[in-house]
Amino acid sequence: MIRNHFLGKALPLALILFMLITLSACRKDKPEQPEETPITIGNDHGVYITNEGNFQWGNAKVSYYDIATDNATEDLYQPANGVALGDVCQSMVLFNNKAYVVVNNSGKVVVVDPNTFVATATITGFTSPRYFLPVSNGKAYVTELSGNAVRVVDLNTHTITGSIPCAGMTQELVLAYGKAFVTNESKAYVYVIDTATDAITDSVPVSRGGNSIVEDANGKLWVACTGGSGTSPALYRIDPQTAQVEAAFTYSNSATNPWRLRINGSNDTLYFLRGGVYRMAITDAAAPVSAFIPTDGRNLYGLGIDPNTGTLYLADAVDYVQRGMIYRYRPDGTLLGTFFAGIIPGGFCFR
Amino acid sequence: MRSCLLFLLFVLLAGTQVRGQQTLDTIALHNVVIVAPRLSDFASGLKTQAIDSATMARYRSADLGTLLEMESPIFIKSYGLGSLASSSFRGGSANHTAVLWNGFNIGGPMNGQIDLSLVPVGIVDEVSIQYGGASALWGSGAVGGSVLLNSTPVFDSGLTVDAGASFGSFGDRRQHFHFVRSTSKWISSISLFNTAARNDFLYSNPELLGTPEQRQRNAELAQYGLLAENHFRIDQRQRLSLRFWYQNSDRNIPPILAQANSSANQQDQSYRATAEWQRLGTKVNSYVRAAYFDERLQWYGTSTDSAANSRSRTLIAEAEMRIRIASGQRINIGLNNTFAEARSDGFPERQQQNRTALFASYRINTTNERSNTTLSLRQEMVAQELVPFTWSLGGEYELRKWLTAKANVARVYRIPTFNDLYWTPGGNPDLLPESGYSGEAGLGAKGQLRPGVKATAEGTFFQRTMDNWIIWLPAGAYWSPQNIMNVWSRGVELRGELAWRVGGATMKLAAMTNYVVSTNQTAKTVNDASVDKQLIYVPIYSGHGKLTVRYKGLLATAGVNYTGYRYTSTDNREYLDPYVLVNASVSYRMSAGKKYIADLMLQGFNLFDADYQVMLGRPMPLRNFQIGLSVRFNQANSTPEEQP
Repeated sequence: MIRNHFLGKALPLALILFMLITLSACRKDKPEQPEETPITIGNDHGVYITNEGNFQWGNAKVSYYDIATDNATEDLYQPANGVALGDVCQSMVLFNNKAYVVVNNSGKVVVVDPNTFVATATITGFTSPRYFLPVSNGKAYVTELSGNAVRVVDLNTHTITGSIPCAGMTQELVLAYGKAFVTNESKAYVYVIDTATDAITDSVPVSRGGNSIVEDANGKLWVACTGGSGTSPALYRIDPQTAQVEAAFTYSNSATNPWRLRINGSNDTLYFLRGGVYRMAITDAAAPVSAFIPTDGRNLYGLGIDPNTGTLYLADAVDYVQRGMIYRYRPDGTLLGTFFAGIIPGGFCFR
Repeated sequence: MRSCLLFLLFVLLAGTQVRGQQTLDTIALHNVVIVAPRLSDFASGLKTQAIDSATMARYRSADLGTLLEMESPIFIKSYGLGSLASSSFRGGSANHTAVLWNGFNIGGPMNGQIDLSLVPVGIVDEVSIQYGGASALWGSGAVGGSVLLNSTPVFDSGLTVDAGASFGSFGDRRQHFHFVRSTSKWISSISLFNTAARNDFLYSNPELLGTPEQRQRNAELAQYGLLAENHFRIDQRQRLSLRFWYQNSDRNIPPILAQANSSANQQDQSYRATAEWQRLGTKVNSYVRAAYFDERLQWYGTSTDSAANSRSRTLIAEAEMRIRIASGQRINIGLNNTFAEARSDGFPERQQQNRTALFASYRINTTNERSNTTLSLRQEMVAQELVPFTWSLGGEYELRKWLTAKANVARVYRIPTFNDLYWTPGGNPDLLPESGYSGEAGLGAKGQLRPGVKATAEGTFFQRTMDNWIIWLPAGAYWSPQNIMNVWSRGVELRGELAWRVGGATMKLAAMTNYVVSTNQTAKTVNDASVDKQLIYVPIYSGHGKLTVRYKGLLATAGVNYTGYRYTSTDNREYLDPYVLVNASVSYRMSAGKKYIADLMLQGFNLFDADYQVMLGRPMPLRNFQIGLSVRFNQANSTPEEQP
């Protein structure tokens, strides 16, 4: 070994030097900690944003936006409870001064104090809960994506007390005239449940892909369907008293079909997503053909309307793997501002 | 950033494990026919790492994912004990690691990859890791690197019976039985292996109030398989090899931390049959190979109505010729045809694809083998469409007796998978192959520091750009794959080994560190904050250290693995904490005469009880152990048969 001497000294030195440089240069191992502005939920108006997070990653969050101060916080639940919320936060409902947070793939509905966001109870035993509808002071219905049933929940004991068999993937639901009207993604019907007997009493034929339903100022129901299996994407107006379709507004099938149907505070103007945001008065004779707010390269995933001001909240889920951006628009479509929420913001809950 | 890395390149004064002495053409030894795969012959300038035989023995009953996680810089995305394991090699995606079993790519056509937890290490004798882009040699998917699984038949070794059993924590039981009859004319061997585990380890659930201790549920695993090999020496120059590998795996899929329950189950069944004929001439070596793979996957979800089934079949035919055109100059030319078809609940109808590739390499080396250079070319056609023409150019130069430099540049590509093309809804038949350029340069040193003390050191800088990187993005109501991302990966790998003797003991200290930056360079949508950010699940820093002590029949190892922060959001705001795993093993070999050998082994994993997650929301086990015994009997052929 002719160069033992050189090798013996230079090589370890070079190695050490190199390791030092590698370990110190370029990119830091430790990520920057995101800044969090602490927020206190007072009596002011505000908006809770449910962020699904990624399926099976357990990174769901509930964000909060304080309208008066224009402050947003990305997550209320973890700081208040010390643990993460769970997997896929689908929706949230405020009822009798409690917040019911539906965590889909954790199979639970968490009951939290809407001011502190501290969990007070957890309702478990769901397969894949999606939406929560209080039907009386002591009872609520919860739809399920799989499980082929709508669950009946006792709001006093926080337990599931029954199941109403309903094949398919049940989605958003609304209460009208003592009946719950339930959309079903995989069937071409809206199902009608009598809240006194907890039984399906009727069904209304619509397109497949029923996903969202609202009640208008005239007491009529509006349903958005994405279509599929030979049925057209459409909006339907239903008379809840007769359980009959009064009017159908169909679209031809495209890459993006109507969903996230919402109505403003005065219950006279419908908004829904179809790529961009579409707007339709309840008196319109035809469905809108052009977007009220165009997509503009965004991945629009959630839509909410402040019932007090009519302000539109529009969620951009970007690539689904980073925090989403929320856009606020005046009812006339002018942009008010933006703020960040969590990963995959999908639902809005106003207080 | 760029200048910083260029600087690093120039400071690269640490070395390569020089493989010059292992650069073999085809050498017919007395009993062993060593056929150099394209790896050592035509992969000039690429860094390679062969897993040593002691390590192979230690992981014999483990799966490939575990071996690579512990012994290589490949980041293994393990979803839990016994669960799905995919790879990220030099910042690439799971589709950017080619896995070849005796020269055949075993990445399935459905998703272009193989679940590394389903490949038992025991099915082969050798595992080599070839770093860097080698699409010109191995075709689609050899982008970040390749994992080569090979078995070399040994003729005239007599009768060998090898059986073993092990018991581990969480109800882990493994058995293997191996029988070989080897004469100078033929070899017939059969291996049976079986693994069963409950995997019901305890962990603290950070997702639940009070972080209660929980026992993992629904994680049971049952896997068994058979490997049969037959090799015939037709005459002094010709050999025929037949291999058949059957495997059945039945796994329950455990819930994630945020899930109360799971009753999901996955069953994988595969049949893989291969045949190879070779003729080794004085000037020309000829090879003809064929393979038939049949893979089925059945998945049942937690709810009774969710299930997914798929089945794929692949037929590979390959012919190759290696010609010595002059002293120190060789060419390799070959043709590969791969036909794949698949049915899936996700496809409306059966899908088929035919791929044909013509490849050639030219290698020149100096007579003393102190330097060599190889140029390789490959043109593949997928369903009558030409995919990017691929090439690579690399070389190795012995600068000093103890110092070797290597460099390689290559065009790399990865074709879209069946799922990318045909999944309904969303599949995009217009997808282009991902393609890019990869390059690396390294220095390796080895030598004797003083009598009895040997050292090797290696440093490699790599960089790669990949365009048309396929990702699934929303396209309305469903997701659809798009050729949208451009990814720039670069980094530095260091490896060092020191071996010395103390009395009758041999000590070996090995360390490797990896620095991998892999960033997205294109905004996918207007608000995309992922530009110039690290890809998710690619640790920037990772490193391994291992001390091995061998004293007579005793072999002890202690290893420590560090895995740095991994981002879990593309804007790099969310991440998983680093973890350090400490493992150790002790084995003792007893022999009785020349015929009997028994190995007793005790292994401990995660000895310091690191509470960690490799993948977000998936718990991993704390300290656990495995004890195993294997017995080997060998009876040499009584009258050495005459050599033909």
